[in-house]
Parts: sequence; structure tokens; C-alpha cells
Amino acid sequence: MKKALITGITGQDGSYLAELLLEKGYQVIGMVSQEHDIGEKNINSFKKRLVLETGDLLDKQSLERIIKKYQPGEVYNLGAVTFVPQSWQKPAFTFDVNALGVIRLLQLVKDLSPKAKFFQATSAKIFGSPDKGPQTEESSVQPATPYAVSKACGHFLTQNFRDHFNLFACSGIMYNHESERRGKEFVTRKITSTAVRIKLGQVKKLVLGDLKAKEDWGYAPDYVEAMWLMLQQDRADDYILATGKQHSVADICQIAFGYLDLDWKKYVVTDKKFVRKEKEQNFFGNPSKAKKVLGWQPKTTFKQMVEKMVNYDWQLTKEEQQ
Amino acid sequence: MKKALITGITGQDGSYLAEFLLEKGYQVYGLIRRTSTTNLQRIEHLRDKIKLVEGDLVDQHSLTYSLKEVKPDEVYNLAAQSFVPTSFRQPVLTGEVTGLGVTRMLEAIRIGYPQAKFYQASSSEMFGKAKEVPQNEKTPFYPRSPYGVAKVYGHWITVNYREAYQLFAVSGICFNHESPRRGEEFVTRKIARAVARIKLGKQKKLVLGNLQAKRDWGFAGDYVEAMWLMLQQDKADDYVIGTGETHSVEEFCQQAFKVIGIEKWQDYVETKEGYFRPAEVDMLIADPSKAKKVLGWQPKTTFRKLVELMVKADLEKEK
Repeated sequence: MKKALITGITGQDGSYLAELLLEKGYQVIGMVSQEHDIGEKNINSFKKRLVLETGDLLDKQSLERIIKKYQPGEVYNLGAVTFVPQSWQKPAFTFDVNALGVIRLLQLVKDLSPKAKFFQATSAKIFGSPDKGPQTEESSVQPATPYAVSKACGHFLTQNFRDHFNLFACSGIMYNHESERRGKEFVTRKITSTAVRIKLGQVKKLVLGDLKAKEDWGYAPDYVEAMWLMLQQDRADDYILATGKQHSVADICQIAFGYLDLDWKKYVVTDKKFVRKEKEQNFFGNPSKAKKVLGWQPKTTFKQMVEKMVNYDWQLTKEEQQ
Repeated sequence: MKKALITGITGQDGSYLAEFLLEKGYQVYGLIRRTSTTNLQRIEHLRDKIKLVEGDLVDQHSLTYSLKEVKPDEVYNLAAQSFVPTSFRQPVLTGEVTGLGVTRMLEAIRIGYPQAKFYQASSSEMFGKAKEVPQNEKTPFYPRSPYGVAKVYGHWITVNYREAYQLFAVSGICFNHESPRRGEEFVTRKIARAVARIKLGKQKKLVLGNLQAKRDWGFAGDYVEAMWLMLQQDKADDYVIGTGETHSVEEFCQQAFKVIGIEKWQDYVETKEGYFRPAEVDMLIADPSKAKKVLGWQPKTTFRKLVELMVKADLEKEK
């Protein structure tokens, strides 16, 4: 039986990846950091089928114990400090987890399980505010926040360890990917969950930043499939995972409120406090390498994704009401 | 009297910078880290002129405290785990000191004394497998070692803090710079020392790695002036500091043996596979034109002069 270790298993991507690997017959070992964890709500429904171990990317001994015990054939490093504003509050902590954490894991893979395949979750935010789009695997890395800087370092370190020690280590450079399991601090989920509350009369307004802000938004369950595919190739390599299309915050509002038969313009107000400095008009990915080599492409459209999220938030909020 | 705080003051650059700033009339403070065998050799001759403050880049509180205590006009962050091969053996430590140390110092400035100007010692190793030749301030980074990655982190976090908190923080992307005070583990010093010892009959052979490896080598004494100049500008900005020329390890050998009157240097040099870098960096050559234009800086010491300087210094030491 194939064994996979997932760090960050309680997060959005970790939980979808765990489900995918369980379906494929893997034994899935999930690392849960008690101290920094976000709770088990994303994995509750299939928790019994997982092996959960307490460990932390900051604590090398805990990682060593887990890798020694299970000797996983695949390691997916999805654990990270992922919320950009937090990285300004805690820049050193962000680097310790997101960059030094990668080294701690890679060193252990090298020493204890050098045949294991390693996936590093890299954020397309490493490209900063690019001069032209779309970005490819060759585009310049120019991160603009401590979060993006730490992810850029994790990306380079993955490449260094692959080239220097011949490890099978891959970096997936992912654009935003959302889902029903996205944290409510992220704008997509903030919109879908608030739209539902407005529909149900629980709140009156939705406060957002720049409505014209654009992102390349994909659906997380599609992206975890690409992670797995990257580790099934003969050669370790890096891939851009993206939809190649941009949508604005206003587009999400329109679909989400429209699905609930509401006119978003009546409920959405903007506050400069939430406006980001980065310019993203050229920020979108070119996933053609992933399509060509992995045969991967996103299956879920933007509209389908937003509607799924609204549906889910509807049910969740209804349940909470009862 | 202006005050400057230097981290890494016991190193090559730190000691030259301390001399330079003393000459300019600064009060110089050096941050030093307590170890059981503190090596103050490079600043021994300055001991009565500078003040040493205890602190460590891995200890946030010690930095914040030092900033509040010293209230320096200028902070030069030259301390680092700076040896590339060690960074593969100790990548986490390298990240802690060379990378995170920068964040801690910037936090110390932001909290303790935000009017201080900050210089970060960045490295041409950040360009690694360089995406263009020569490299300027806009060339994308592609670091090839944990040392290079940690330096990239330090560079970007300096830029982030400048843009987000309006600190006067600059990054000097220095290409290789050597001197008689270079550590013996670096190839230039290794050659200079071996040549001196061969001349004095203390050694027979010099074992090296890739003789074709090329670097843009300048004299450290010239580079510390550029660091200072960067902090005297109206606007904080980043600069590439280098000579714009490259020379191979082979050329370095040739020149070094010439100093002791040996033309057939090949008779004394052996190469060993184990000394090759697994992931060699490509053509690293500086385009220092921005530094020349804005700072009015250019290197004064030629390659030949540098080699001669180093060999002669080692001849003196080995006598």
C-alpha cells in the first residue's frame, strides 16, 4: 500500500488531497500541529480513515519521528502560514514555517527516505506584480510581501535540494484556488458566506476592498489532482497550476448574489482599509506545461465554483440557525 | 559625532568598514556574539577605538535593546553564515542567521530606533544560475544554494520594510570581494596562502576544484566605501557593486605564482573532483553602472593588484 504524508492536512488543500489519495487506495498520514492548528472541521467526515500524527514544521524532531515511523513514499508539504496580512505581523515566524520548514522536511527526506517524492506548495504570489502576463515557470520571481518572500525561498530551496542532492522534489506554483473549505478571512468565502447571511436577513452589508481587484481563481479539488500527478511523473519538475483567466471581486459578487436572486450593488460597500497595494492586472498563470506534461486542466468553471460555495454556505448557515 | 553599528565587525568587511568609518570621524559600535573562543583578530588594532556591544542576530531582544541603547545613525548588517558549502550542511542555521537575522534587525530598527539608516549586505550568489549577463539591479534572482536563498530572503525583506514602513533601508548586492583578511576557506585566500607557503618551502602542492570557475573579484577595501555611500544618499535604493570583469580560478593561480616568480604554476596545482560545487553558478559578472552614476563609486584596485596584495600579505604572515 502506498503511503503519503501530508502536512497541513486540516487545511483546504490538505483535506481535499487526503480524500483524493484515500480514493486511490493510499494510506494517508496527516500531520496536525496542535499549537498552530485551525481545527479539524475540514477532515471530520473522513477522519477515521486517516492516520493523524502530532507534529510541527518548526519542530524537526517531530518530523523525524513521523518520517521514520511511516517511511512515506510521497510527502506533500501543504502546511504554511498562508494569510498575507498575518505575515506582516509575524514576518520571522512566517519564514520559519514557510521556508525553514521546507528545509527541515527536505533534510529528513534526504537522510531517511531519499526515494520519497516531495511536493512543495508554492504560491504564484512569488511573482509579485508582474509587468506582463500570463506567467510561466520561467517568469521572474519578485515577491512583495513577507508571505510571498517566504514562499519564494521555499520554492528555490526545493529546486536546490532537487539539483544538489538528486531528490525527487517538485514545486507546484499555484494561483488562488478556492472552495467550500476556504477560510472565511479570504475574499471569495467572505463574499459567499456573507451573501447567504444577507439573504437570510442576518446581516445587512458586505464590506469589501477594491472591487476591481482581479485574480486567477481556480477550484481547489482540481488543484490537488495536479499535485498528485506531479509526483507520478518520471522526472521531478515545477509546474504552474492556474486557470489562465482573471476574474474580479465584483464578478464573484455578481455570481454569488445573483445565485441568491439578489442585486449585489445594493449590499456591497467598499472600505479603503481593505484595499491592497499590489497591482494585479497582469497576474494570471499559463498552465500549458501542466496540460502538456501532466495532462491536467481545471475542470470546474469560475461560475460553478462560486455557486458551489454559495450552496454550501447556504446549508451551513441553515444548519447553524436550527 | 555620527554613530554606526556594525554586525559582523570581526569579519573581513566589518573590519575594513570599521577602519573606514573611524577615519570619517564616526563613533563605531560592533555587535559581537559571545562564544567560548571569540576571534577578534581582524579588529585587534582597532580595539581601543571602537565599542563592542553584545548581541546576536538570532536573539531579537538583544538587537532591539542594542538599537535603543546605541541609537545609531547607521546600521550595517554584515554578519552572516557566509560560506556556501556550509549552507548545504547547515541550511536551517544559514536561514536563521543569514535570512531571519535581517528581519530581526529590521524589526529592532522599526521598534527601537526607526530613524537609523540600514545597510544590508546582499550577495551576487542571489543571481546564481543567472538569467542574464552581466547582472544589474533588475536581474531576476535564481539562487543555487541555501546561502543564496537566505540572502535573497534578506534582500527582499529589506525592500519590503523600506516600502511598507518607510525605513531608510538599502541592499548592496556585492559581487565577490577579497582581501588579505578573507577567510582561509575561500578559494582566493586559499591560493594566496598556499603560494606564500610554497615559496617559503612549507607546502608542496595546492589542491583545488574547478579551475575554470569564474568570478567577478574585487577588493573588499573598495567595497566598504560603496556601502557607506549608499547611506549618504537622499533616497534609499539598491545597488550592484562589482568590477564588471571576471577572472577564472586558473588566472588567479597564474597571477599568484607570478608574484613569487613562478611561471609554471601547473607544476604545483592539482584538482580534485570532490572540491567541485555540485550546482555551480553560471557567469556572474556585475554591471555596476548604477553605482557609478548615482554614487560616483568605482573600484580602485585592479585584479592583478589584488592578487599581489593578498600573496604579499600571506608571505609576511607565514614568515
